[in-house]
Amino acid sequence: MKHLLIFILSTLLLAPANAQERIIILNEGNWQADNGRMSYFEDGAIVSNKWFRDKNGMKLGDTPNDIIQINDNLLAVAINWSNIVQFITPEGLAVAATEDVPNNRKLCTDGRYVYVTSYGHECGTIDGMREFTKGYVAKIDISDFKVVDAVEVGYEPEGIAIYKGLLFVANSGGYAFNEDHPYETTVSVIDAATMKPVREVDTGQINLYGKMSQSGQYLCINSPGDYYDIAAATIILDCRAVLEGKPDSECFTKLEYAATCNTTDRLGNFLAIGSRYSYYTSDYQFDYSTIAPAAVTASGGLEGVSEDLPGTMLEDIKAMQMPYAIYVNPYTGYMYATDAGGFNSAGTLYQWDPDGKLLGKHKIYINPGHILALPPDGHFSGIEPVLAPETGSTATDGKIYNLQGMVIDRPSEGQIYIRNGRKYIHKTR
Amino acid sequence: MGWRCENTRIALKITVFTYRHILLCLLTVTSTLCPAFAAINTARPDSIRPDTALRELDVTAKRRPLATVQTIAGSDLQSLSSTSIADALKYFAGVQIKDYGGLGGLKTINVRSLGSQHVGVYIDGVRLTNAQNGTIDLGKFSLSTLESVSLYNANRLEQCQSASEYASGATVYLQTRRPTADSLTILAGAGSFGTWRARANIQTKHRQWSAFVDAEYLNTKGNYPFRYKTEYEDTVGHRRNSDIEYWRAEAAVFRSGFASHFYFYTSERGCPGGIVRRLSDKYVNVGREWDTDLFGQLSYNWQPAPRHRLKFIIKYAHEYLRYNTDYPENQNTAKVDNHYWQNDAYASATYSWTPWQWLNINAGYDARMSWLDADLKRFSVVRRLDQKAVVAGRATWRGVSLAASMLFQHYCDHTITHVGAADPLSRFTPSVTLAYQWRSLSLRAWYKKIFRAPTLNDLYYTQTGNRNLKPEYTRQWNIGAEYNWSHSGFSFNGQADFYINRIENRIVCIPLKGTYTWSMMNYGETYCRGMNATLNGTYSLRDWRFSLLCSFTWQKDLNHTDPDDPDTYKRPICYAPTFSMGATAIVAWRQLSLTVSRLHVGKRMWSYADPEDILTPYDNVDLKLSGHWRGFIASLEVNDLFDIQYEHIPRYPMPGRSFNFTISYSIR
Repeated sequence: MKHLLIFILSTLLLAPANAQERIIILNEGNWQADNGRMSYFEDGAIVSNKWFRDKNGMKLGDTPNDIIQINDNLLAVAINWSNIVQFITPEGLAVAATEDVPNNRKLCTDGRYVYVTSYGHECGTIDGMREFTKGYVAKIDISDFKVVDAVEVGYEPEGIAIYKGLLFVANSGGYAFNEDHPYETTVSVIDAATMKPVREVDTGQINLYGKMSQSGQYLCINSPGDYYDIAAATIILDCRAVLEGKPDSECFTKLEYAATCNTTDRLGNFLAIGSRYSYYTSDYQFDYSTIAPAAVTASGGLEGVSEDLPGTMLEDIKAMQMPYAIYVNPYTGYMYATDAGGFNSAGTLYQWDPDGKLLGKHKIYINPGHILALPPDGHFSGIEPVLAPETGSTATDGKIYNLQGMVIDRPSEGQIYIRNGRKYIHKTR
Repeated sequence: MGWRCENTRIALKITVFTYRHILLCLLTVTSTLCPAFAAINTARPDSIRPDTALRELDVTAKRRPLATVQTIAGSDLQSLSSTSIADALKYFAGVQIKDYGGLGGLKTINVRSLGSQHVGVYIDGVRLTNAQNGTIDLGKFSLSTLESVSLYNANRLEQCQSASEYASGATVYLQTRRPTADSLTILAGAGSFGTWRARANIQTKHRQWSAFVDAEYLNTKGNYPFRYKTEYEDTVGHRRNSDIEYWRAEAAVFRSGFASHFYFYTSERGCPGGIVRRLSDKYVNVGREWDTDLFGQLSYNWQPAPRHRLKFIIKYAHEYLRYNTDYPENQNTAKVDNHYWQNDAYASATYSWTPWQWLNINAGYDARMSWLDADLKRFSVVRRLDQKAVVAGRATWRGVSLAASMLFQHYCDHTITHVGAADPLSRFTPSVTLAYQWRSLSLRAWYKKIFRAPTLNDLYYTQTGNRNLKPEYTRQWNIGAEYNWSHSGFSFNGQADFYINRIENRIVCIPLKGTYTWSMMNYGETYCRGMNATLNGTYSLRDWRFSLLCSFTWQKDLNHTDPDDPDTYKRPICYAPTFSMGATAIVAWRQLSLTVSRLHVGKRMWSYADPEDILTPYDNVDLKLSGHWRGFIASLEVNDLFDIQYEHIPRYPMPGRSFNFTISYSIR
């Protein structure tokens, strides 16, 4: 009885205080129509489909392309066609913006700096304008939002992730159709501290393009191929193998699936929706997959992939007109996907519970391409509840890493971290 | 995931005019703006005796009650704003002009929401073509050499019409003025946004021969100011990279049934993108375009015997286009430097037979061979043979006229492009018109079915082309009435037409499901009901002449594509206004003339996603004042007098108020 009372009381007190599902969706809008928009969704309802504008009295910009959380108080948004990296608070208030990184693509962070890929050829840094022949990665200091360093990588670098102090950058070479260079096949590895290239991993697969998901030491990288002779594929990159200096061929596993949109679930698996298209036949082939990266890596791709998604998600997504994003809330396990529908009508946000039961559909805006969950308690620890088991030899430097591989100085109570190659739940005592 | 801009762009570059056309595709091709205005034409009774030998000029200038036509001719045409033929056409009922802003911005015409590729533009009866994308940029043609501009819905229904003239949903006829005396005219002008122009015209008439040469140069910086002011935005700026410099030269020689026309145009222009949020002017999206177009056409209208007429046309056209984005301030896009070459050879033969006065039979055949080459990756030369044949008949009995035609079209492509050529396309399409004339009143009803074949870009453009495209069909039904009245210095013409048109298998560029690319697809069906009306009156009294030309367009153009999608089904097509109207008043006194034009275009939606995604209604008032003194003509134009900020395409602002002053001197 006492327990029940306490439970009821605490439920009453706590439930209204913290929303559990706090989701930001970036709607890309139409290209050159300046109608990129932010939608905010909270506990089963859309709060606003023009959230940024409501909060700031101004428009977001043209074609927002990525959004990440940096710390408790800061998020970064890459707004591609506006050439802006926009910093906002979790409440949606604009903090700062920089145009020093034109043609910005994707973002990652170690909590101190934001790293952003760019297809452009110049970058405004604190040391003046830097010019590059190919694409580059810029390092933005969040204390003053200035670019402190930048390094050239391959042509048209796309996805970026950080693992144990190293940046992994997927090069696409996506301008190959117009420019005088071929598609890229490499992943550039950069030391985040020094911004110096460490090595390049050649995957042999062209056009490493689109969102990149991370699960511990593994990255899920999509390649749409060239739509002609080279088919789409997914590269599962083992960052640890790269770190250990293994030969390129042992650092990745190639799967004959497309993973156009992908995300990481709470078990550390990648969920992916992909489509393969051929200009020869005008035919599509769709892939829906759950990828267990450790099993895939261990078996050389023979095991670890199931052509299924949790619950009714598979059927629901198959019924979509144009699946455009997939996401799992790392804090709660609730799942999301978007349907862009027709390209000039509002897209739809689908929500499933952690078991894959469809909870609802919500009208958002044009081309909803990117989703980010905010922590329910407001405390961002950098943790992505990603449980892919670490394999191979272990680091024994005594540093504490979160599951994204970021070094953590002050771990928070009750969260999962990695130290000396082992996961543990941090307790302050 | 996100759509990668460069891929989008590739997709969209299906048309050559990258930035501007991108939107054309992106935004579902239908629809647009919609001005309207009317046409005047002193309606003449149908007094042409079929067996009378006629010069081409007469044929096209006469009014036929059978056709739904609007015309602006002669002094009325010269009283309008003179920058391009788009300025004249925007006053017609049922017309929507799509304009990407500025003198260099692409200007296309859409009639009754059929889509710009269903509108054929003809110069002296010969179609202007663009095998690549099927769209004609009206900005490349000048009003200065024209006698009249006419818009026909469905067919023109004249004798000796070529098969090609039956092959579009609506037709715009540009009729070149035949010189009537020797003259030399030079003109100089200056206008807002750093605009300078010069023109020279020489005309001669000698016995049955007449000829002219007309050359024009224009240069504009174009950096015009714009302002977007809403509750969440106050963006003030100058539209950069909207300059254009062009040379245009035309020449023509006529001798009764013989007509020729030679045209040369070369330009360099900036292609500015949409105005989007930026922190500064550091980066701009620079695309630049160079065009060179030329054509030569010869036609001969021959009457070997009283009841028989023959017409032959040959034409050769060449178009070159270069598009370049390799500029340091352009950080957003791939460094594109592409070149496109098109050649087009055309020949037509038409025979018209009038066995009895009440019956006319018309038969025509024409063939067009087009070549398209481009230095795109995975592209190789495409060749298209397009043949058309038509049989048409027209019978008249006591004021009742019946016209019917059957058109056959055959398209056959050849290419070694990776995907191979599309299958040949052969189709028959009919049209029928019934009219009744009683004194000054005529009633008409017509039906026309026609298609547009996929263009070479639609089929073969690298990455977006789709060789499996089907033709896009339109079916139009129309009933209308026209009334003419004139009495002692006063003349009046009024017409009203109600129409329905359906478009099936629309050819649009849409994103592929779950990939990053876009492709041409047959997707969409529209159902449009509408009404066009025009009222024109003129009154002359001693030294005074008053003209009033009014047009009204009301239409419901609805999306009938997907019954399962409540967001779009039976909702208006993007960019199509429900109501628009135009009015032009011209007052002339002796050597002075003042023209005031007002154009109202109602609200248009541009996406289905949010009710606030609309283009606001606008009212545009243009003024033109001109005066003659001896050989001099001076004119002052003020366009958009009240500096209304408006757009045809979201984020492509129009220039606002501008001034234009010209002075010319003629020696006769």
